[in-house]
Amino acid sequence: MDIIASKLFFTGIDIGSTMSKAAVVDAEGVMLGYVIGPTGAEHRRRANMVMEDVLAKCGVSLDEIAYIISTGYGRVNVPFADKQVTELTCHARGVAALFPDVRTAIDIGGQDAKVLKIKNGKLVDFLTNDKCAAGTGRFLEVAAETLGLELNEMGRISLQSDTPVKINSLCTIFAQQEIIASLSEGKPLPDILAGVYIAIATRVVKLARQLKVEPPVVFTGGVAKNGGMVKAIEAVLGMPVSVPPEPLITGCLGAAILARDEAFKLINRGEYKLQKKQLSEAYIEFTEKTR
Amino acid sequence: MSDSVAPAKTEQKRAINRLKSMYPLRNLVAQDYINTLQASNEGKPTVWAMLNYWEGDLPLKAMGLNIVYPENYSTLMASSGTAEPFLDASDSDGFPTHMCGYGRSTIGYSFRMMKQNDGKIPPEAPMGGMAKPTLLLGSGIICDARFKWFQALSRYFDAPEWCLEMPMMGTFEGTEPDLEEYQVKFLVRELRDFIAFLEKLLGKKMDWAKLEELIEVGIKIHETCWQIHELRKVSPCPMHSTDFWSSMPPALFFAGDMYEALKCYQDMLTEVQERVKNKVAAINYPEKYRIVFAELPPWHSLKFFDNLAEMGWNFVYESYGYHNPRPPDLSKVSDPVEKLARLSRNFVFNVHPYAKADGIENPIVETYLRIAKGWKADGLFLHPLISCRAASAGLRSVQDQLQKRLDVPTLWVEGDIIDKRVFNPQETLARAEAFEQTMEHYRKVRKSRGLDW
Amino acid sequence: MAIATNKGLSLAREIYADRSKRVRELRRDGKKIVGYICLYPPVEIITALGLVPFRIFGDMSEPITAADRVSTTMVCPFVRSILDLGLKGKFDFLDGVVGAHTCDIGAGIILQWRDAIKDAPFTHLLDVPHTDHAPAVDYFEGQINSFKRHIEELAGEKLTDDKLKKACEMHNEQRKLVRQLYDLRKPDPPLLSSAENLEVMVALSSLPVEEGNSLLEDIIQEVTERKVKPSPKKVRLLVWGPVFDNTALYDLIESADAHVVVDDTCVGTRAFWADVKPPYNLHALAQHYLVDIKCPRTYRQAEPFETRRDYDKDLDSRFNYIKKAIVDWGVNGVVLQSVKYCDTHGYEVPNLRHYLDTLGIPSIYIEHDYSERSMAPIKTRVEAFVETLG
Ligand code: SF4
Ligand code: SF4
Repeated sequence: MDIIASKLFFTGIDIGSTMSKAAVVDAEGVMLGYVIGPTGAEHRRRANMVMEDVLAKCGVSLDEIAYIISTGYGRVNVPFADKQVTELTCHARGVAALFPDVRTAIDIGGQDAKVLKIKNGKLVDFLTNDKCAAGTGRFLEVAAETLGLELNEMGRISLQSDTPVKINSLCTIFAQQEIIASLSEGKPLPDILAGVYIAIATRVVKLARQLKVEPPVVFTGGVAKNGGMVKAIEAVLGMPVSVPPEPLITGCLGAAILARDEAFKLINRGEYKLQKKQLSEAYIEFTEKTR
Repeated sequence: MSDSVAPAKTEQKRAINRLKSMYPLRNLVAQDYINTLQASNEGKPTVWAMLNYWEGDLPLKAMGLNIVYPENYSTLMASSGTAEPFLDASDSDGFPTHMCGYGRSTIGYSFRMMKQNDGKIPPEAPMGGMAKPTLLLGSGIICDARFKWFQALSRYFDAPEWCLEMPMMGTFEGTEPDLEEYQVKFLVRELRDFIAFLEKLLGKKMDWAKLEELIEVGIKIHETCWQIHELRKVSPCPMHSTDFWSSMPPALFFAGDMYEALKCYQDMLTEVQERVKNKVAAINYPEKYRIVFAELPPWHSLKFFDNLAEMGWNFVYESYGYHNPRPPDLSKVSDPVEKLARLSRNFVFNVHPYAKADGIENPIVETYLRIAKGWKADGLFLHPLISCRAASAGLRSVQDQLQKRLDVPTLWVEGDIIDKRVFNPQETLARAEAFEQTMEHYRKVRKSRGLDW
Repeated sequence: MAIATNKGLSLAREIYADRSKRVRELRRDGKKIVGYICLYPPVEIITALGLVPFRIFGDMSEPITAADRVSTTMVCPFVRSILDLGLKGKFDFLDGVVGAHTCDIGAGIILQWRDAIKDAPFTHLLDVPHTDHAPAVDYFEGQINSFKRHIEELAGEKLTDDKLKKACEMHNEQRKLVRQLYDLRKPDPPLLSSAENLEVMVALSSLPVEEGNSLLEDIIQEVTERKVKPSPKKVRLLVWGPVFDNTALYDLIESADAHVVVDDTCVGTRAFWADVKPPYNLHALAQHYLVDIKCPRTYRQAEPFETRRDYDKDLDSRFNYIKKAIVDWGVNGVVLQSVKYCDTHGYEVPNLRHYLDTLGIPSIYIEHDYSERSMAPIKTRVEAFVETLG
């Protein structure tokens, strides 16, 4: 790595339905840093803020960013992005960067769940569930509200259970009634919580089975921070899963790495449009070095 | 509210007064599963068939084949609570989840058998399971699922499929002059080809004498069943829907030994006649309301009918698609294949002339109008299914016309034949209670219109 | 005259946006308009009797409200949408409606219609057998014959051999022209977008055959000569499935890095691959519709009377026309789309996908409820699918 190439940076921005994330990588694809914040109603403003934050955190100026890819549900609302890529492709890339051997990734977000099949770091097949809240983080929130708990204390409590309550309903409303019924029957709280996790895991693993789960499996998304959920997924799946240290950022990390790949591809083809004046010299030299 | 579904507390009296003659009929179908397993073990051919309203059942039986009906087997999975893993297996093999619950459980069963269990019966299968098929007999009667899902099974089995034909039409076109003869001609040609195919597949000839004999027995079975259900028109109704559902396979697809079945149905007729004579009701509570059930029941929650019986709800007729009509007079027809064609065609077309007279276009609607009148229904329990279009699509029109023409109200309860997770018994019972007032109201309305119930 | 002011693709777009405009004009001039549902009612007979065939679609942008009176929510929403529009009086320009027993639920439209609407106009329901067996073809010929007798009453004239022959030739001409239209998408990049193509196909189903034919001629010429061409894209897709009559899906797919270059749907190629064969009589029509049109609603097998069913052979016998399209149009991915609750297409999905796998063609299955609203959630999946093909 020469000095000039190391001056190139790339950003991935993931505007999810509840959280926005951004990450910066260098020319080798190594992450400099990331930020996470709530999405809110104003996607465009949010995108700007996340961008500023991540640049500040990484000590990089906008001019040094050679390429930006936006992803996630709000990806069209990132006006300064050079390209939009779906969160499925970005997640796959991000997960593969952290776990190069990964074959299956399960991601449970606030409003959706997805299962990715990955081969040689590339997305090859996928399934998503966005119709039914019962297999997503939304279901956890409903359960937390019903039980009057904070989301972050649920996982710890559930880990005390050996006999999870069985929750049958497909639909969140019915399931909520079941939870209330279990409460009034005097079932212990940890068992009810563990039951909730098993219910979600069952839905998601069902989705995963359609793609024929192959190990190693990586589990990401906000819900993956929850120890109870991880345990439930492993139990229902019947195999261990790995969770990245920060399971929320695989999407923006993947987007940043893809931004790097894309920029190099364009540079190599001589198609990179040099809008960012200060960088032009660096690009040209870099291009020459890589030829 | 949850204790309203709990069993009656003190005296353990059963809410529904089951017919003793129902039990031997219910057991006949079990015999078919056992025989088919045994045949399969001995390397003999076995058949999976769809309901075909007899045009296919009888030739198969005359050829001495052992047959199971996945549609029936799926109800067993549902009522024994074992359907879920099979539904999941179907989903996991990529079949869309919105399709027929029977289809999905059969597909899941086949997947488990052929892809995960070395061609052997999956251990979790109820009743010992369905033996691997050597022939799949699909049918075009009523719904499209019944040939499409067998077609899809080529994914698992190399058994050939034959798809039986049956014209499907509404009143206007279905009552054209000359139509019957031209349809019979078509069906006869189809059935001859089907029999030729069976002969080729099995390497033996059709036993025509046997076929003729079985047709005669079948007609007698149907005549007897028809008489039984006519007797349910009296009040109190002597036979409950649940007894019909338990006892229907030997008439619906000639399950078990047909001679034995005929005897059992004759016993049932006698028992029902006795009840009529002695005014014995099908429920152990005063018959407050006479209810008709449309169309396929929630097999997983049949207990629920006990709760309704406690409220005085007697289910007096049900499931037109599972009843045979009175068999036509075939004494002048000499060709057995033509008899088959006419017997089967009569299932689809028997109601068309009445529908024409009433100016009703959808035969299902006419069927329920006739049932409501004949069996003096206070209300219809409509059970649209998430997974069966055929049995759900017409129910709104039924509801509409029943209310308009006869002032018979309907209770609309969404559910499923297989998936119990979509059915909410507590809520339904609460709605049923409220529905009683509606029924009372329309009783008065009907009286004031000069209707006699 | 509207026809004179607008031509070619822009005329097709105009008709697509206001489908009944032209037939309303024709009706004012004394023509009778016959709506037909799905592609099994033989349009040749309608044309031959001097009537104007008009294909009935639902409306993906119109919320279904009135249909609840006669249908449940658990049936095909395409069917529900048609019922809904009918009950709302939106087909008031039709002198008759012809349905077919294409699928069990589709057949119900005519029945429910007749029961729900007093003084319904002329309606006919054609029974279509389930198989392509030889006796079924003969039976279907009889069904076409009774349809003919019935619709002769509406037309007030008799069908003659000569009129039928002429109508068959005109419709065959349309089939030939449509195949030429599809040929325009064989080059890379295709000369025509899939949304434009759909607009043309929908326009054809809203016009008398001769007007459709001249529209096609104009369009083929216009497209061949036009300067602005669609830009090159990474992926060439085939779209499969039941009815899809709205450009929304094609716009959605083409907003990703993909062209849809050919389809196997019943608004697209299905009715146009094969010609009606001479002698142009009712038997030829029966043969054409029941045997030559390939739609999953008909039960087919590799060989009649086969005593063993080989999976691969079975799939090849049912789907090799798709393989041919894949090769001829240089397709590298397939989008299987289906409206929810469609049994005839739903059971096909895993098997067709397996067949495509054996050809090395990746595929994706998407389900929608025949509403524009249900398109948005599909977008990310389609885009991701296109990304995996890169
Ligand atoms: S009638 Fe309904 S339940 Fe029966 S096979 Fe057809 S779709 Fe399934
Ligand atoms: S989309 Fe499917 S269910 Fe709907 S009318 Fe067409 S074939 Fe029938």
